[in-house]
Amino acid sequence: MKKVAVVGVGNTSFKARHLDKTFPRLAYESVKAAMEDAQATRDDIESVVYSIYNDFFEHSGMPDYHIHYLLGLARKPSIRVTNGGATGGCAIKAAFAEVASGLHDVVMVVGVEKALDVANVVEMVKTIMYAADPFFEAHLGATPAGSYNGAILWHMEKYGTTEEDMARVVVKNKGNALNNPDAHSPMKITIDEVMKSPYVIRPLKILDHCLSSEGAATIILASEEAAKKFKKEPVWITGIGASTESARQAERDDTGISLLPAVRASAESAYKMAGISEPAKAIDVAEIYDSFSGVEIILYEELGLCDWGKGAQFLKDGGPYMEGETPVNPSGGLIGGEHAIGATGVYQVAEIVRQIRGEAGARQVKGAHCGISQSMGGARGAYSVTIVCEG
Amino acid sequence: MKLSNEKDLRFAPMKVENEIVLMPDCWKVDYWASMGELSRFFMEVKENGRLMGTKCPECSSIYFWPRSWCHECYVDCEWVEMSGKGKLTVFGKVEISLSDLQKEVPYIQGGVHLEGARYAVAVCIRANYEDLYVGMPVKVEFLPPEERTGRIRDFYFVPDV
Repeated sequence: MKKVAVVGVGNTSFKARHLDKTFPRLAYESVKAAMEDAQATRDDIESVVYSIYNDFFEHSGMPDYHIHYLLGLARKPSIRVTNGGATGGCAIKAAFAEVASGLHDVVMVVGVEKALDVANVVEMVKTIMYAADPFFEAHLGATPAGSYNGAILWHMEKYGTTEEDMARVVVKNKGNALNNPDAHSPMKITIDEVMKSPYVIRPLKILDHCLSSEGAATIILASEEAAKKFKKEPVWITGIGASTESARQAERDDTGISLLPAVRASAESAYKMAGISEPAKAIDVAEIYDSFSGVEIILYEELGLCDWGKGAQFLKDGGPYMEGETPVNPSGGLIGGEHAIGATGVYQVAEIVRQIRGEAGARQVKGAHCGISQSMGGARGAYSVTIVCEG
Repeated sequence: MKLSNEKDLRFAPMKVENEIVLMPDCWKVDYWASMGELSRFFMEVKENGRLMGTKCPECSSIYFWPRSWCHECYVDCEWVEMSGKGKLTVFGKVEISLSDLQKEVPYIQGGVHLEGARYAVAVCIRANYEDLYVGMPVKVEFLPPEERTGRIRDFYFVPDV
């Protein structure tokens, strides 16, 4: 297997609505930024993997198809990956495989989403929940919050994690976003304010929820040989892991020591590939899937950043804060930074690359040599982990 | 905020045919889809009855439908007004439509290559089908202002001979 480098990264700003831009335009702007970052031209691009989650959002059954030729890439190969919230990570996996196999030397991953062309949030979420089992569960009134709530409730029950602990994640991530000029929801907020926001599904309140953003992110991958012709020092993808879970929520085992076992599985395979045996020591920075504040606390454990059951303590001890042992979501994550679903996993890796290059500005983590990106979705059916390290 | 319509098939009871359950469902999604950087095109159609294309300031390509950037030069294009005249590149009469245009059959769709434009586009044609031929000069006509909705079907092409 060939080594695979990231040689260019770019993204748009993220916000609730980009009323002045269509989804192809958002994609183009992130592509142009990534090409400028790498000093690449479209002639350098051999193949594209599009990372676009939901046909209903883009009101197109094949949204990728309506971007590719507009990028001037007609007759070059392209595919689209869609895999719920794990769309970005899995698109990177597909592009990684194209380069690692020697099929192509330079492959671009373009993530974009424009969710609120759907007329209202109710309709938009309805389309997300079309991921639910269409035979039995689709009409149960399932919600995205509901798909994570079981694991959060079990964590509270088993380990005494509190709503205040979860509110700390919100305060941290919205605060981190203040250092990210592209962030959707930078905010100086208190635990008390989070606690006073209305419940959606207990214990989750409105402010515990991730954002719904519009925007795009692009990364350019290259083989070791091809990477030499681009401007920036290559940063390497050293581990790729993916996993899946039963699409039926009631079939999942959320009650073992691992509350999100498919996260654990995807992380273990990525760590193994990267030769990482002690993630808490090896990982300097993490951009992970805080779909809900309580989920981030569980993820500290599933990703091995702290011991089982110690997620809330790790948070209270300062571990995932900017000056802590392993800063988590310096970009602001999905709660403060962005969640333009198809773009999210791609943006996470772009952010880790910036951290390793020392280009992350006010959100720079000191001494970032190796980072992890983690995403999941499809009402918790699909999972992805990507490890990115310096040479 | 409008919630799901109770009349949707999604809320209707199932039925059984030959021991097979048929479960009613409905995929109905409303949008206020932003036309973004392309907004001017639709405003000009609706308000002024004009067809706007775009032109690349570097290679001078003219794009209709308008593209906000040139995919060759990677620079932003400028708005230009199209003459509304062109030539028919292909045409066909629709007699059964698997769309919401079924009530309008028969109707004619065609390809028109507008003067100066780089590519042809698919549009509505109003003419005697028997009169049409490939290469036929055609020109744009607009619905009266009060009938326009801002959509592509606010205009159509007729023979210009």
